[in-house]
Amino acid sequence: MHYEIVLWLALLVPFVIGLICTILPSVRIALGAMCCCVFGTCVAGLAVIWHVFQHGAVFTVSNWLFLDGLSAYHYLVMLLIYCLSSAYAWVYFGEELRQGHFTRRQARLFSGLWCESFAAMSLVLFSNNLGVMWVGLEATTLITAFLICIHVSRESMEAMWKYIVICSVGIAFAFMGTLLVAASARGIVSQDALLWTILRDNAARLDPKLMKAAFIFLLVGYGTKAGLAPMHSWLPDAHSKAPAPVSAIFSGFMLNAALYCIMRYIPITESATGGTGWALHLLTGFGLLSIVVAAVFILFQKDLKRLLAYHSVEHLGIIALGLGLGGLGTFAALFHTLNHSLCKSLSFFAAGRLGQMFGSYDMEKMAGSFRASPLWGAGIFGSILALIGIAPFALFMSELQLVKAAVDSSSMAALILFLVGSGVVFVGALQHAIPLAWGRPKGMLKPLRFTALEALIVVIPLALLLVLGMWMPESLSAALKNASGIVQSTLPAEVVVFSGYTP
Amino acid sequence: MQTAGYMNIILGLVFAPLLGGIINRVKAVFAGRTGQPLLQPYYDIYKNFRKGAVYSTTTSWLFRAGPIVGLAAALVALCLVPVNGATAPLAFTGDLLLFAYMLGLMRFFTVLAALDTGSSFEGMGASREVFFSALAEPALLLGLATVARRTGTLSLSELLAATSATSPELVLVLAALGIVFLCENARIPFDDPTTHLELTMIHEVMVLDHSGPDFGFIQYGAALKAWVLGSVIVGLILPVVGGNFLLLNSVALLGGMFLLAVVVGVIESTMARLRLIRVPQLLVAAGSLALFAFILSMR
Amino acid sequence: MTPVIDTTMMLLILSNMALLGLSRLRSCIAVASFQGMLLGLFTVFAHMQALTLRILLIAATSFILKGFVFPRLLRRSIREASTQNEMEPYVGYSMSVMAGMGMLGAALWLGSKLPLNPAAGMDFVVPTGLTTFFTGLFLIVARKNALTQCLGYIILENGIYAIGVISVVEIPALVELGILLDAFVAVLVMGVAIYHINREFDHIDTDQLDTLKG
Repeated sequence: MHYEIVLWLALLVPFVIGLICTILPSVRIALGAMCCCVFGTCVAGLAVIWHVFQHGAVFTVSNWLFLDGLSAYHYLVMLLIYCLSSAYAWVYFGEELRQGHFTRRQARLFSGLWCESFAAMSLVLFSNNLGVMWVGLEATTLITAFLICIHVSRESMEAMWKYIVICSVGIAFAFMGTLLVAASARGIVSQDALLWTILRDNAARLDPKLMKAAFIFLLVGYGTKAGLAPMHSWLPDAHSKAPAPVSAIFSGFMLNAALYCIMRYIPITESATGGTGWALHLLTGFGLLSIVVAAVFILFQKDLKRLLAYHSVEHLGIIALGLGLGGLGTFAALFHTLNHSLCKSLSFFAAGRLGQMFGSYDMEKMAGSFRASPLWGAGIFGSILALIGIAPFALFMSELQLVKAAVDSSSMAALILFLVGSGVVFVGALQHAIPLAWGRPKGMLKPLRFTALEALIVVIPLALLLVLGMWMPESLSAALKNASGIVQSTLPAEVVVFSGYTP
Repeated sequence: MQTAGYMNIILGLVFAPLLGGIINRVKAVFAGRTGQPLLQPYYDIYKNFRKGAVYSTTTSWLFRAGPIVGLAAALVALCLVPVNGATAPLAFTGDLLLFAYMLGLMRFFTVLAALDTGSSFEGMGASREVFFSALAEPALLLGLATVARRTGTLSLSELLAATSATSPELVLVLAALGIVFLCENARIPFDDPTTHLELTMIHEVMVLDHSGPDFGFIQYGAALKAWVLGSVIVGLILPVVGGNFLLLNSVALLGGMFLLAVVVGVIESTMARLRLIRVPQLLVAAGSLALFAFILSMR
Repeated sequence: MTPVIDTTMMLLILSNMALLGLSRLRSCIAVASFQGMLLGLFTVFAHMQALTLRILLIAATSFILKGFVFPRLLRRSIREASTQNEMEPYVGYSMSVMAGMGMLGAALWLGSKLPLNPAAGMDFVVPTGLTTFFTGLFLIVARKNALTQCLGYIILENGIYAIGVISVVEIPALVELGILLDAFVAVLVMGVAIYHINREFDHIDTDQLDTLKG
């Protein structure tokens, strides 16, 4: 089969359907078209991913688009999150439609932008050309900006403006970095100086000083989009004021996409600077800073979605830390990507539904969620538990592997900071979560009846997290090893062996 | 060579007040009037010398010394600036610093004399004047430093002789020096010489209490200051005709000065005085232009 | 060729200083438009020896986009938001100009550190580009008016564009045009956002957008 065609289709179909969505006649139809687009692309995408895992990378015309182990893995995560979020959007906006808060115009705008952002994020993952990758990420910024303020209010306007300005500046920094990378390749690479595959093959001959400067710009630029501290200030605002499905997409995949861009540059920079680990040290620094800053802010949050947003900052910091540690750390970081996306999406789903029920996101007002809705209360409590790293959820496993990686490489300072940060987050989040789930409900509550679809949306991620925490399938492990090998441009180290795990 | 050195002194002594006359005539033409005669400043100075002076009982020797020291400083500065191609009588390496400081000395004594009267109006004018010149001096010095760096010499005589090509830095320096010229000589857009509202005066109010010969010295000293600064600017622009073409250079200098006076007249007629909070911004802009030129010259 | 490039760079830096020192929005937009046109011309000057159709196309696109389209979009936003002047900025105007001089110095230092090896006679271009970059960043951070922040973004991209023109010639035209298109869409999006903000808040003073804290 010609898998290149599938890549093109995966880009074009959401783009076209997104445009069509803006003229559909009713809310239900628009949301339905959006879901069909995502699910349809998902089926085709899974076929390509399977092919890549079996047979290696797929390239298209003149090598501008491709799918290798790393991007295939991220594409898998993206499809999973988008499918879950689209189904949830159907439920969430269905409720809003019933309450009369969702107009047809908003539905058209939402579904159109949703499909376009799907296409843009696919572009980021598929592009071999680093310039096109940059264009894709900038496109996601601009497109998702209006997803934030679907419901126009003062706070959402403010959040949107901060998001646009901060992320655009970050993307401009990233562009400067891309330019410097291309400049360092001038003269060594004759043509197509921005193709990742070519740069990676010639990495050892690139100018180290220029690559160092470029990497700093890239890390700050893409790090802004990824929500690494200290460039994370847009994150809590954007996540708390956007509708729940949009927050799920942000945390579930967009932050990972930005970190993916950084991952593409790691092997190039490492080779160019002679493998001294300079780039990795920078990443570790940013990761630890994110963990610490998030831990501090989690302690005094009152708004549920802001709390979850700071959790995102923390977990992105953990992933960056893992990438920075290298070896087993890279494996753990990539595994953590999947776990965090699943868990964070579920928590935003639950927060959204509970917010609809209670009418506010203030955690004091939302006390006693479990009594009000057993399903979503279980969802929020379970996801927060998973987020803070309780065994046997998968996040615990990936964090444990990270700890082992830190010990292996004797980075004791990083280890201590990480453990302290995680400990503070543990205590802080539980202090919020227990009253949230089990507290005494305030005021009268209309109990929410839930449909089978909602049950599926809650159960699937929780089940996946539980299963992955206890058993890693052979194929997933191989895929992760492949992906981390690409990031490190070496073979990955030995995987932690616990009962039930096969390396 | 000796006469060549004294040429600018003679020209300055004779023609300095004529600059003021030209400016006034240009303003009159713009306003559609006939205006004062061109030689009116000479008549004014002569009139003041024939009058008697009145001194307030609150003043001291500073008040009497102010105009005299000012005139003396202006004359020393005049001795430092040559016609293009000649060497000034007092020239030595580093004389451009002495030039800047002579102008500063003149300003300092004017301010002291103003403060000496104990009047609040003059104190107000003095504080404004000092504030503006504090911002204008870096521009002046940086501009001169840039040109000095470009030509590799620290003496005004050689400096003016060596610069004739128009390079980007020189254009910037000339812009900066032009703004400084307007500021130092209390011209629009910094100060309106024809205003009679004391609250808006800067230079005029400082010399409000002087009379008779003292006022004549002040007027003549101000004219010389304008001539001196102007001849530096014109000297930077004009190319040097080497050899013994002293007459040609002198005529060129004279023509340049008159042209400068016309330009100032046009600026005075077409612009209004800036609000006081905008003046520092303009001076900082001039300073940045000079700094930029200096950075450019350091490459 | 060197005097032309030098004069262009000097005018570019002067326009940056003007942007830092001017308070009226219309003047700032006019200066930014002038800067855009200058950059379009610079693209042609920088490649005078090896002019290809591709370079002419990029130069023409950036000339029109930055010289005419962006200012037009911004002026429309001014009309809709009915704002004339900058509110009192965080950093005063004189201080901004002096900061601009500081940025010039920093850019010169940074430019000497980066081994970009520009062609002969173009060694002032990288510091100028970096100065423009920093000026744009400064405008975004130190000003309160949302429109000025959008203008700062345009200036930021101008700086990157200037560096890109001389340091990389091999980026395919498609990507460069895609980048210009991105800048266009970004400005459009920001303009629409400002319109909505103004409708919601009745002002575009971002200093007052401070309800989301912590």
